[in-house]
Amino acid sequence: MAGGVSRRIFLKSLGTSAVTAAALGADTVSQGLAQANAERAQGPGAVAVAFTVNGEKRTLMVEPRVTLLEALRGNLGLTGAKEACDRATCGACTVLLNDTPVYACSMLAIEAQGAAITTIEGLARDGKLTALQQAMVEQDGLQCGFCSPGMVMVLTALLRKNPHPTEAEVRRAIAGNLCRCGSYPRIVAATLAASGQKPVTQLNVISLHDHALA
Amino acid sequence: MKAFSYVTAQTADSAVSLVGDRGRFLAGGMDLLGEMKDGLVEPALLVNVKAVPGTREIAAGRGTWTVGANVTLTRLAEHAEVRKVFPGLAQAAEAVGSPQMRNGATVGGNLAQHSRCWYYRQRDARCVKKGGARCLARGGENKYHSVLAHTMCLSPCVANLAVALAALDASVVVQRGAKTVTLTVAQLYEKAWTDAKAHHSLGSDELILRVEVPVVAGARSVYVKVAEKSEFDWALVSCAAAGRVEGGQFRGVRLALGSVAAVPWQMQEANAFLEGKPATDETAAGAAAILLRDAEAREHNGYKIPVAKALVRRALAALGA
Amino acid sequence: MPWPKETKFLGKETPRVEGPAKVSGRAKYTGDVAPAGVLYGAIFRSKWPAARVKSVNLAKARIAPGIKAAILARDGEFDVRYYGDEIAALAGTSKQAVLDALALIEVSAEPRAFVVKEVDALKTDAPTVVAGRANLTEGAAKETGDVEAAFAASAAVVETRVSTPIQVHHPMETHGHTVQWDGEELSAWSSTQGVFACRDSFAKSLNVAQNRVRVRCEHMGGGFGSKFTPGAEGVLCARLARAAGAPVKLMLTRFEEGLAVGNRPSSFQKLKLGADADGKLTAFEIYSFGTPGHTAGANTGGGSGGASFPAPYLYKPAATRVKQGSVAVNAGQSCAFRAPGHPVASVGMEAVLDDLAVKLGMDPVEIRVKNDPFDVRRREYAIGAEQFGWKQKYRKPGTMAGAVKTGVGCAGAAWMSGGKGTQAEIQVNADGTVEVRVGTQDLGTGSRTVVQVVAAEMLGLGLDRLTVRIGDSRLPPSGSSGGSQTTAAVSPAVFDACENVVAELKKLSGIEDPRGENWQAACAKIGNLPLQVRGKWREGLSTGGAGGVQFAEVEVDTETGFVKVKKLLVVQDCGLVVNKLTCESQINGGVIMGLGYALYEQRVMDARTGFVLNPTLENYKLPGAADMPEIEILLIDMPERGVIGVGEPCTVPTAAAIANAVANAIGVRVPDLPLTPDRVLAALGQVPKGTADTVRRPGAWVDGRASVAAAPVAPWVERNGGGQAYR
Repeated sequence: MAGGVSRRIFLKSLGTSAVTAAALGADTVSQGLAQANAERAQGPGAVAVAFTVNGEKRTLMVEPRVTLLEALRGNLGLTGAKEACDRATCGACTVLLNDTPVYACSMLAIEAQGAAITTIEGLARDGKLTALQQAMVEQDGLQCGFCSPGMVMVLTALLRKNPHPTEAEVRRAIAGNLCRCGSYPRIVAATLAASGQKPVTQLNVISLHDHALA
Repeated sequence: MKAFSYVTAQTADSAVSLVGDRGRFLAGGMDLLGEMKDGLVEPALLVNVKAVPGTREIAAGRGTWTVGANVTLTRLAEHAEVRKVFPGLAQAAEAVGSPQMRNGATVGGNLAQHSRCWYYRQRDARCVKKGGARCLARGGENKYHSVLAHTMCLSPCVANLAVALAALDASVVVQRGAKTVTLTVAQLYEKAWTDAKAHHSLGSDELILRVEVPVVAGARSVYVKVAEKSEFDWALVSCAAAGRVEGGQFRGVRLALGSVAAVPWQMQEANAFLEGKPATDETAAGAAAILLRDAEAREHNGYKIPVAKALVRRALAALGA
Repeated sequence: MPWPKETKFLGKETPRVEGPAKVSGRAKYTGDVAPAGVLYGAIFRSKWPAARVKSVNLAKARIAPGIKAAILARDGEFDVRYYGDEIAALAGTSKQAVLDALALIEVSAEPRAFVVKEVDALKTDAPTVVAGRANLTEGAAKETGDVEAAFAASAAVVETRVSTPIQVHHPMETHGHTVQWDGEELSAWSSTQGVFACRDSFAKSLNVAQNRVRVRCEHMGGGFGSKFTPGAEGVLCARLARAAGAPVKLMLTRFEEGLAVGNRPSSFQKLKLGADADGKLTAFEIYSFGTPGHTAGANTGGGSGGASFPAPYLYKPAATRVKQGSVAVNAGQSCAFRAPGHPVASVGMEAVLDDLAVKLGMDPVEIRVKNDPFDVRRREYAIGAEQFGWKQKYRKPGTMAGAVKTGVGCAGAAWMSGGKGTQAEIQVNADGTVEVRVGTQDLGTGSRTVVQVVAAEMLGLGLDRLTVRIGDSRLPPSGSSGGSQTTAAVSPAVFDACENVVAELKKLSGIEDPRGENWQAACAKIGNLPLQVRGKWREGLSTGGAGGVQFAEVEVDTETGFVKVKKLLVVQDCGLVVNKLTCESQINGGVIMGLGYALYEQRVMDARTGFVLNPTLENYKLPGAADMPEIEILLIDMPERGVIGVGEPCTVPTAAAIANAVANAIGVRVPDLPLTPDRVLAALGQVPKGTADTVRRPGAWVDGRASVAAAPVAPWVERNGGGQAYR
């Protein structure tokens, strides 16, 4: 293959029209064509992006600069994943990309081409909460709830991989998810409860009148 | 984010030719998309390099391991063999950002990331790295900045893997035009030491393909850092060490410090000082003193000097442990 | 009837009503609401910390693709006083369209000299933030007793200096609104702490009648004091919607959240405290100042408007001298922030008290019990000390060997407010179901569940028979959620409504006690139209005046300066506990926010550019799960006091207790919060002095030498002649 400059010209011409076979050997041309078609630049206008969301095939038209989070929330109306920082610093936008938790704010929708995405809306089926979601409610693993979708996604992935995590493993799993209300202790408790472990409560109500020291 | 075109490169060769002078490579995107959202860079084209063949493997070779540029930090950190053979590398990967970030971030992206200096990242600040006349951290808020600087710019190298790989004496294989070239970690960053505008030595059309890490019989490695928070925080200072402790003596030990200079900070003199000396805290302190000898405290970052010294001692203690 | 003694729901653990919706992504927050044809709105802000804006040209932006409205924040010439001040706003069909158009706005302005550091702003030749007004506003010193004589007669006197940073609220959901007009009627979905206050503020700002404004807030992602009004962003959103003739959603970015929507004022405190040989406090003196932002205003005494705070905090020495000031800087204005003034006051007072205890050779718990005027808190100290193992853990400061040292500390809190003025409406249907309506809002405190718990308890019904409607200005009026008043305001109103329901049902059905098992039979008599009954807040069911003490155990790495909090014990009274589950969560949250204040959080301003350097969650550091200590809570149940809010007192003493524990561990006080490694090492004397760089800012306030005129603005700024959109 030729050097950078001539190759760029080659690709540019391919991008808009056909290239003459005479310019290159026949094998090279068919390989080159296949590759160049695959390597045709898309955008900057809206382009078709197809992926699976919560088991459903979806195709949408978005500019390459649209993030996965913007596409999910804006184009698909899936507002469960939240935009809280838009800079990969808080985890409120977490979704599963091929079962791996990612920050939807920090990848482009076009990068998810062909991928299987699970959002918070895809967990509870027919209104029935998962064991983790149920535990989050019962153990009060939330306050304002804005971080909850991201927390649930990252912990769902943890429990799939590691059904009986230790407290330290749970804490580490949510290291990339911030909660300004400070619900971490109850989120950890909920995760332990969901994995069949006894959650710890550190709250004791005592009567001032009965207490020996009071 | 300004509008741009997007293409997925199928080979390293086409990736570097496609990117041209107005494009940028896109791998994990953890660094780049933030820069674009803040208007610091406005590429006309993003070249997705994740499909480039051979860049997703971790391969154990004879005497050398190869780690592809598109290996995610999660995979590197969790790789059982890497944890055994190069624990310092796995620890460095594990210390990056958060789980979701490591799921996206790649080895190549970690090494090629741009400055995290808050003046550089501030969209309205015109600093030397962005073509201004001055480093705004000088005389400004420089608590996260370099104590060892050669240019006007005080932004330090914060790439965890660079620090670990420097101590492991690894090489970085880069696609440069139609050829591949092999660089030492020092070479990968030396331009940042001499050119205030540079983040590393790579041109915008040069693509990291893989790193090669030599296996040294009996050697151990370790990576330690101190940050303000317990997790998901940049290192204030980090230190990696690799080498052997034999018969109570340091052998073939290499040290590197992160977040103290524009490059992973290494000094041959410090490594040589350790050679054959008893593996004690006193020896370690001697090496630390050499490494930090030229360090210069600014208004707010003087604390980095004692922290770096403490980390050198801890890293060396861990090597012998 | 009074609050019942034997209860089924009250004081038990009731999961949040809205929990399932929140953990499944169904809960709709302001940014999730999407009326048909909704446009995307964004604000164009000043990139100058100070400037006279001469003109703003929106012509190019207005005709950009997809743009439906372009408006000015202010007409004519005006001053911008901080980096991030509002200049204009756009609405368009997509985020991308609006981003592109924002870059087309042109501003002509004269940059002015500015000052962003509190100490710089105090200097006599500092630029004035508000023309014609001194930066520093000081109240006269307030004195009680003969202070000099009292100090002279004291057995021990200590002086302590502390400073506290600007803390930024950073709720996970940024500030924002979705607004729709229908003729002259305005409908807003607002992320707010007060739907009624928000309604009235919209009406006033937009010159619309109050009966034509509706504000809804079904769910909101935290406020912590920063979301009482629509703010500039709400008014701009409504104006954009009017101009575009379409609904507009305007949610701020995290970047804007760090600049423009409030913060906790900073403080610089010089304290002096004296005691007699028994440790009884004799004399107190404080001089303090801090910044509440670009408008220092009058000395408010409360701390939420100005930078002043309660002093002396908690303790009552006979002789006191208090002088406090607020200094204006070119930065975003402060507003209420969870227990305004109190954490600031606590950090200083508890520090000087511990330093005095050390000097007297007294135990810190002992000196507190001896001097605290509130008997509940004194008993809480006794209970907490035993549970914490204080006697076993406390060592003389700095006496521990080894590089990593542990230490312990404690501190107390007071919170005064009660809560009144709320109304509730209960509708009982013939099928026995009940709908309770209160125009309050749920910030994440669980107020919706409080309504449910009280109604279920008082009507003797299962939770599944009740629905609760809140967060709408068309519901019965309720006050804003501030001052820890919501539970104390809402519970009595629901209680009262329940009593009225029971009376009505009794009349209607002839059943003596229509509650519980008789409910269905009683409701069968209701007839075709549902029974609707109101209730009002009334005396005797709730009160104010919560105490609370906390104990901290920390580990300090004296080689790296890293502080790790190992344990926090909270002893908190909150009267009658309504819901244990949400009460515990509130306290956890207050403690964690206090931990952030102690160790990580601070807004960093750059003197030369006037920029906020950390309007991000990358560098404005919020505590994460890994930073959590073991948190143990002892809740003191005092049902005879009625319902008392707990959201604020629990955050007050945390930072002071941690700071005292660090001082106890290392034997020296780290004066400046947050206690980051650099500061801990500096306090230990391990940091080499920094060389002032040769590159100095022209016009810098170095030693007060530079002159104002020399302070340039333009060279440091990326693009001259424009403002900035912070997307």
